[in-house]
Amino acid sequence: MSDVVTLPPLPREVPELVADPAGIREYAADLLAASTQVDELGSFVAGDARIPDWTGLGATAYRDAIKSTGRLADAMSLALRDVARRVDQHAVALQSMLDRHGALVDERDLLVAAIAELRARVAGATADQAPALQLVCDDCAVRVATFEIDLDRWITDLMAEEEAIQEAFARALTLDQVERRYAGTDDPADAALDSMPGPNASPRDVKSWWEALTREQQLAVIAASPGSIGNRDGIPPGARDAANTVSLDSDLVDWGSLEDQGLLTDDERQWLANARAAKQAISTIEDGIDPQTLAPVCSQLYLYDPTAFDGDGAVAVSAGDLATAHDVAVTVPGFGTDGQSAPYQADRALDLYEATRSVDGTTGVASMFWIGYDAPDNLPWEGTGWDGAGVAGEGLAAAGGERLADLLDGLRDSRDGDRAHLIAIGHSYGSTTTGHAAHDEGIPVDDLVFVGSPGVGGDTNDVGDTGVDPDHVWAGANSRDPIADLGNHGWVHLESVLGGAGLGDDPAEDDFGAIRFEAESTTRPGHLDLGQHSTYFDHGSESLYNLSQIVSGNYDAVLGADPVTDPWYAGPQDPEWDRDPTERDTLDDP
Amino acid sequence: MAEPFTMAVPSAMGVTARAWDEQHLDLRAAGGQVAAAPTGGFTSGVAGAAARFAGSWQRHVTGLAATAETRADGLRTTATDYARTDDAVASDQLLLDIALREDR
Repeated sequence: MSDVVTLPPLPREVPELVADPAGIREYAADLLAASTQVDELGSFVAGDARIPDWTGLGATAYRDAIKSTGRLADAMSLALRDVARRVDQHAVALQSMLDRHGALVDERDLLVAAIAELRARVAGATADQAPALQLVCDDCAVRVATFEIDLDRWITDLMAEEEAIQEAFARALTLDQVERRYAGTDDPADAALDSMPGPNASPRDVKSWWEALTREQQLAVIAASPGSIGNRDGIPPGARDAANTVSLDSDLVDWGSLEDQGLLTDDERQWLANARAAKQAISTIEDGIDPQTLAPVCSQLYLYDPTAFDGDGAVAVSAGDLATAHDVAVTVPGFGTDGQSAPYQADRALDLYEATRSVDGTTGVASMFWIGYDAPDNLPWEGTGWDGAGVAGEGLAAAGGERLADLLDGLRDSRDGDRAHLIAIGHSYGSTTTGHAAHDEGIPVDDLVFVGSPGVGGDTNDVGDTGVDPDHVWAGANSRDPIADLGNHGWVHLESVLGGAGLGDDPAEDDFGAIRFEAESTTRPGHLDLGQHSTYFDHGSESLYNLSQIVSGNYDAVLGADPVTDPWYAGPQDPEWDRDPTERDTLDDP
Repeated sequence: MAEPFTMAVPSAMGVTARAWDEQHLDLRAAGGQVAAAPTGGFTSGVAGAAARFAGSWQRHVTGLAATAETRADGLRTTATDYARTDDAVASDQLLLDIALREDR
């Protein structure tokens, strides 16, 4: 029968495509970080290098000489930045080529299978079946022809993209080319930075400024002056991440190089450790897998200053996209936290992201840890204990609360017209900081959560003092957690009894009025145990399960617990002490 | 009237020389970063061009680093000369002042 039915032609093989867009983006990031360094030389020559007090012929000769260096540096910076940007676009283009490649391979496999089946059917067919079979074969031939057109287009597009990127490299290969093309060119970043709002501008004003810039200006500012916008409230999360990544990469290279040469100062050694911790935190999050999409979890470096707080460092990294997520949770850690805690905090942020995506995978989630204030370095009973250095007092929490309120305002304002469900979670001393932010500053959150709280600040006596809807103030306290046991109880107020040493009221107590949720751990012993203070974000725990339900807005699914009571005739009574803890499913198996 | 002798200028030169030193170190590191930029993610047709670009730019940036180092060294020498010249002029002025003083 095969002599009367024409089979469709076999489609061509799809050529192999080996490329790694993530690796290409790394290459681009290295070029961009180097361009920032070269740009700094240009700025230095135009400013501090000029020695204004020096006058006379020698001074004029010196300034003339360095002028050419500055001019070359400016041109090199622009050239390198342009190529870096083009390489970044190349990574995007190649990802698209890889996606199309996958689709072509799939389509070819289907066609080959269909043709094999047709061949078998034709071989066994009778003459009267031939017309119908021919129609099917013709349909298949049309699909093959379409496939061939798509394949040709894909090959053409790939070759064009490869030629374009090679051309971009070739056009800026020599210094002659660079000087001819870029010397004397205005840096688009300069005018943009000149119009940047002052330090006291609101996040809304900063956002308006940013949005008024051209895309070219935005990219130029990210490359030329990442420190100006990386930690600026009002700048969109994606741009902050891009700028802070440039700063981080540059710091790792600069201080790493000094370390190799044995030239690191003690301060720089600490800053480098903070930078490395930030990098590791990013890796920790990006190694995570979204339980719903099975894609790697994206990270955003929202805050990065390795020198902040006398070298303790400031860093905030998000699991998930802060710019688009429906649910945005900001976790504020406490005692013993500094920049080098970032990987540990990243692990917790990832746990909360995974759990929230597991209990409700219908919406996007971002879970960010925020080490943006000077937290006490030690636990109350370690080292100097309740000392006057702010270890157990509220001074650091009050200062941190102001910063936290600014951060939350900035996050809220950066999503103008696209309101996220925003949740602040304070853990440990971070709950004291969060309490201060709520009481002293007012915070624009939808839900306020305290876990393992030693007290939420002396001026916050109940949920009404937080400024947040009382139906959305939550507390989780493990009955064996000694830190959660530190808060004032009922009529006994430690800040008055111990001369100001306490941290305020226990949010898990009935008088406070928060909604208490179950937070016991199956690993709890029969006595108070400091290890229980670190179980709130563990997978499988009651606490993480309930946190993820609050973050996803599934309030009815939160497992409530009776509050602590503190009658005048007896000590605090925790009804959770005798309840058997349960294991909870907080992670869908990918 | 001549300006009073001051160490402000050579001192500023010293500070600026150290800043040039910092630029030198940072740029040298940046050159190394460009050289180490991974080319493995590119397609085989492009990886060679990417490697060549990185190699060329390592030399460009390292050259800029060397210029910064030269500026630092030059400025330190200038600062020393400046202070030494001012010292010499000051001594000369003192001797001249004594020689020119009217005795009666």
